[in-house]
Amino acid sequence: SDGDRNPAGIATAVEDVQGDDRWMCLHNRFVSDSKDKEPEVVFMGDSLVQLLHQFEIWRELFSPLHALNFGIGGDATQHVLWRLENGELEHIKPKIIVLWVGTNNHGHTAEQVARGIEAIVRLINLRQPQAQVVVLGLLPRGKNPNPLREKNQRVNELLKLSLPGLANAQFLNVDPGFVNSDGSISHHDMYDYLHLTRSGYARVCKPIHELLQRMLEEALPSTPNATS
Amino acid sequence: MSQGDTNSAAVPQPGADIFGDDRWMSQHLRFVLDCKDKEPEVLFVGDSMVQVLQQYELWRELFSPLHALGFGIGGDKTEHLLWRLQNGELENIKPKVIVVWAGTNNIEHTAEEVVGGIEAIVKLINRLQPQAKIIVMGLMPRGEKPNPLRQKNAKVNQLLRVALPKLPSVQLLDVDVGFVHSDGTISCHDLFDFLHLTPAGYAKICKPLHELIMQLLEETPEEKQATLA
Ligand SMILES: [Ca+2]
Repeated sequence: SDGDRNPAGIATAVEDVQGDDRWMCLHNRFVSDSKDKEPEVVFMGDSLVQLLHQFEIWRELFSPLHALNFGIGGDATQHVLWRLENGELEHIKPKIIVLWVGTNNHGHTAEQVARGIEAIVRLINLRQPQAQVVVLGLLPRGKNPNPLREKNQRVNELLKLSLPGLANAQFLNVDPGFVNSDGSISHHDMYDYLHLTRSGYARVCKPIHELLQRMLEEALPSTPNATS
Repeated sequence: MSQGDTNSAAVPQPGADIFGDDRWMSQHLRFVLDCKDKEPEVLFVGDSMVQVLQQYELWRELFSPLHALGFGIGGDKTEHLLWRLQNGELENIKPKVIVVWAGTNNIEHTAEEVVGGIEAIVKLINRLQPQAKIIVMGLMPRGEKPNPLRQKNAKVNQLLRVALPKLPSVQLLDVDVGFVHSDGTISCHDLFDFLHLTPAGYAKICKPLHELIMQLLEETPEEKQATLA
């Protein structure tokens, strides 16, 4: 196995290159947040997770499920891995962890990104064995066809094959068809051809919410009807 | 301090396509196209502070009714905005008010250089859109705790207070609306990542901004009547 040599699978803290220490402050806030709260669902990942928290749809769909949002803009798999190894899973016991990361793994191959995501899933299995992990597929990016779109697509294909082999993990494709027939992506869905608009999130969040609701219902303690 | 074309914050520079998906140029070209189709009264130009604002309900409440367009690209430095404005984003339009909000991403530049970059943007707008009244947004404090970038942004604001009155048709809007608490911290309820604003954070800044824009629009009564007719 090349697992140990894959940079996407080696826990790494983000270096404070800008000098305002924002990444570590956010991580510390998530750790302290998790001490006071009892989330049923935790969203982990990059800016696609983080920005979701700023939209009304978060409060409509996910706050009622007792969800916490641990997204940091720019994070790649190795950064999420570091955060999870360093306190963000310590004080909570969620039923579901939604993982959405990988589009920022620049310089890594699709195989490395997929292995990085699998390393995160394994870590969650170890630290939170009760939790089901929902891995969201990477979205297409760029206005026009480009190599990063192809790479993200390949990551998804690899995950579809590998995740069923891991405990408590499943893959969810959340792309409703953002790429139009002419190969373009609309700024009405992704305002900068990477991050989602309000209506882009609405399209993505519907299947996520449906799956989470179904999983939480199935996770209820058994009732007289449960065997039917 | 270096001046003119030795200050790289004041030399137009297109955003690099570092990752290979060409998103910066795609956005710029869309803005140029917007100028051909639309007739904004108010134009916002800048970095993610402008871009994210447009995604929130507040934009539709306060600024869409003023016929506002937003040309914000996340990560842009003054030199990138300068390049965009020089390359089509000020063509085919004649806005009455232009809001400029950029500079916090000029990490490697000194406060003096950032101010030089902002002045260059203002001068370019004066030249290409002489009728427009310009509002320069002050730079926001950043980071959860006190840090050198916060000090630098504060210094940029201080220097702008002195420099901008010397240029025509421009004024500075102070955005320090109490985001830094007495213990020196900034809340994630205002700046969700200690840089970008939450809807609640924007609400605090956009109220005075909206009032100022309204005031500037009213100072051109004959044109206002023409658009209302
Ligand atoms: Ca026009």
